[in-house]
Parts: sequence; structure tokens; C-alpha cells
Amino acid sequence: MVRVHIPSQLLQRTGRRRVVDVEGGTIRSVIEALERDYPGLLFNICRETGDLRPFVNVFLEGEDVRYLAGLETTVSSGDTVHIFHSVAGGS
Amino acid sequence: MSRTMLLASTKRGLFLLSSEDRKEWQIDRHTMQGKVVYNAALDPRTGRMFATDNNVFFGSKLLYSDDMGETWQEPARGIEFPEASGLALQNLWIIEPSEDEPGRVYVGVDPASLWVSDDNGENWSMNEGLQSHPTRERWNPGNGGLCLHSIVRDHSDKDRMWIGISAVGCMRTEDGGKTWTHANKNTRQDFGPELYPEYGQCIHRLVQHPDKPDVLYQQNHCGVYMSENGGDDWIDIRNNLPGDFGFPIALDRHHPETLYTVVVEPWGRHNYGDQFTVYRSQDAGGSWESLSDGLPNGTGVKLGVLRHGMWADTADPCGVYVGTNTGQIFASDDRGDSWQMIADFLPPVNAVRAVTLD
Repeated sequence: MVRVHIPSQLLQRTGRRRVVDVEGGTIRSVIEALERDYPGLLFNICRETGDLRPFVNVFLEGEDVRYLAGLETTVSSGDTVHIFHSVAGGS
Repeated sequence: MSRTMLLASTKRGLFLLSSEDRKEWQIDRHTMQGKVVYNAALDPRTGRMFATDNNVFFGSKLLYSDDMGETWQEPARGIEFPEASGLALQNLWIIEPSEDEPGRVYVGVDPASLWVSDDNGENWSMNEGLQSHPTRERWNPGNGGLCLHSIVRDHSDKDRMWIGISAVGCMRTEDGGKTWTHANKNTRQDFGPELYPEYGQCIHRLVQHPDKPDVLYQQNHCGVYMSENGGDDWIDIRNNLPGDFGFPIALDRHHPETLYTVVVEPWGRHNYGDQFTVYRSQDAGGSWESLSDGLPNGTGVKLGVLRHGMWADTADPCGVYVGTNTGQIFASDDRGDSWQMIADFLPPVNAVRAVTLD
């Protein structure tokens, strides 16, 4: 299982659970598992084109997956994933 | 006694105001708090309220409320582009409940796309004809994005409709949305090599005459126009306006040759001089008069109004409402002759829409 920390803005999707456990071998499959368990999260994290939303950051064991292999980054059981929105508060 | 409700969509939330007499106003509710609301509508057929939740972080979506904004729900199947389209939703711009098609609601979005629901907003589908338009690859966005911001369904012909897209222009369908044609003849494009191209104009707002279905009015980036033939061509009706750059346009449904607009300095995007002014024509744009009784004046008065920031209600004499990009709402209950500020210190106002409740 992979442990995923959910940002506060998306807690309505998870029944207010801040941390959820899902199966997955890559970040993409983790997000797909989140969508199965908590419908709507896929749209919140990825655009319809399948890529990560520009102001959503996903960290695997503290590393931004954009600097790893993006959505294809491999995850292992026991890993921790954090989802945040980026700092874009100028408007 | 009827009551007037004003939905004020702002950069941070939706404000609901009401009045029994259109003179004394109160703010009843601040809902959608923290959300970027471009547009909201109350469907008088069902009492269902719709609002856009434009979220740069986690994706934009349409929400609806069946308890006057106390709680909000997402549609069962919302507005999401199919992956094969290669498009991703940016912002929702306009919500138009149909006046005479049961259950039907329209939404226009960025990237330019028209969405339709036939079950009061629960399930949404994309208009394919617009999506596959042969000129689509050459459409360019305006400053606000490639936004479909005006939806005018012809009340006299169920198959005819006009839409406004910045910066594509006015488009018309005559077969219920299967095919669309550009309808911009004689509207200017001052920002390209060709002054009167087939498309590429930056239309800002489009409305239809309630009694003469072929008569349309638009406020454009480059002028104010009227069409007398359903958009086949357009007539410049700027006449004595101090400028031709503005965003909103509205009309008095009981006197539809009476138009309202706000033109602004093109670069400052605020009123000319020191007087915030609404402009009214009572002869379909033949001439314009300045309305300023009750509107602010002074050295620091620099107010702008966005494309959905003006609304004329359905009463006679009609009420006119203007929301500014600095958080004021001004209202007139006498066709614009006099004004009062009915709200201040709001976030920047994106849209106002009045609904008369029985």
C-alpha cells in the first residue's frame, strides 16, 4: 500500500480523511486508484489531457515527481505521497 | 409583492442581495466563499442556482444549489473535455438556463466550447459542431482566454443561436448547433493586419432584441454594433460615445431600443476622466446620453466594468445594475436616470444578474 496525504481543499472527496492508503506501482496508478476510491480526484489532480495540473505538485518520499519520472515515477509499497497545490497566490 | 434578487459573482465568492422595492437593498448571503465565481444564474423554472467555481489549482467546475446557495453540489456528469479532444478546461464563463426548452441549460467555457444539459444541469455534453469547426485551429484567445462568454438562443426559432467568443467573434447556427458560421461582417479588428476579417474579432458581449429576433447588439473590443439581419452584417452604433472600447451591454426588455453600456479607456480600463458613467441610448444606438446622477465623481474615481458586470432586469421601468472591478455595485430603479451604490468593499465583481421573484 502507498500512503497518500490529501490537501485540505480536496478533503470533501475523501470524507475528510487527510491520509488514505491505495495500491499502485506508479504515481499514475496511484492517482487512478484514488479516483476509483474517491471519484473526482483524478480531475482535481490531472487535466483531461492526462497530465498533472500545472499548479498541483506531487511529492514521493519528499521528492517532486516532476523532477523524477513524472506520472510514470515508480512507487513501492510503504512509500508516502504528498499532494499539494503550488504557491500561486498573486491574483 | 415581487422581490428582486441580485446575484453578484466576484473574484472571491458569490454575494446574494435582495430588495422588496429596488431601493433598499441588503446582502443576504455570501456563499461559494473563497471560490472564483465568473458567473451565476438562478433558473426560475426550478429554483436551482448555478455558479462557476473557477479553480486554477484543482480544476474548474460548475456547481448547483437547490437551497438558494446554502449548500452546493457537483453535477453527476460535469463539464470535462474528452481526453481525445486534447483540450483541458480552463474557466467556465457563462451560464444560460433556456427560457423555453424544458430542462435545458447552456454553459460556455474556455477553451471555446458550448456545453448543454437537458436535465437541469445534472449531466453535460459538449456541442460537437463547434468543436469540429474547420477554422478552429486558427482561433486565438483574448486576454481572458479563448472564452465563450455569450449564448443567445433565438426565442423565435429553436434551431437558431448565436454565441460570442473572444477573440473569434460572433458565430451563428441555424440547425440546432450541428454547424456554425462566422457572423462578423463589418465588425472591426484593430489588432490584426486585416481590418474586417471573416473571424478573429474580439466580441465582448452579445444580446438579442426581445421582439425583433433578427436584431442583435454587441459591445466589442473595437466598437458597439447592431445587426438587423441576425448577424449577416453589423452597423457601427458608437456615434457620440466617448470611446468604443467596453465590455458590457444590456437592454430594456420593455423598450428594447434602449441600450446600456459602459465604455472605458482602452489601456486603463476605467472610466474616462473623473466621472464614472453609464451610457444609455434610447434609439438603438443612434445617440448616447451620459448617466451619472448618483455615480461617483472625483480625482481617484477609476472604475471598470467587466463583460458580465451589467444587467437590466425585466421590470418596467427597468432596473439597471452595474458591478465594478473594484467591488462596488450601483443600481438604478428608474432606467438609469438615477443611481445609488447598494454594495461596497466586495471583491472585484465579475458578473451581476437580477432575477425577479414572485
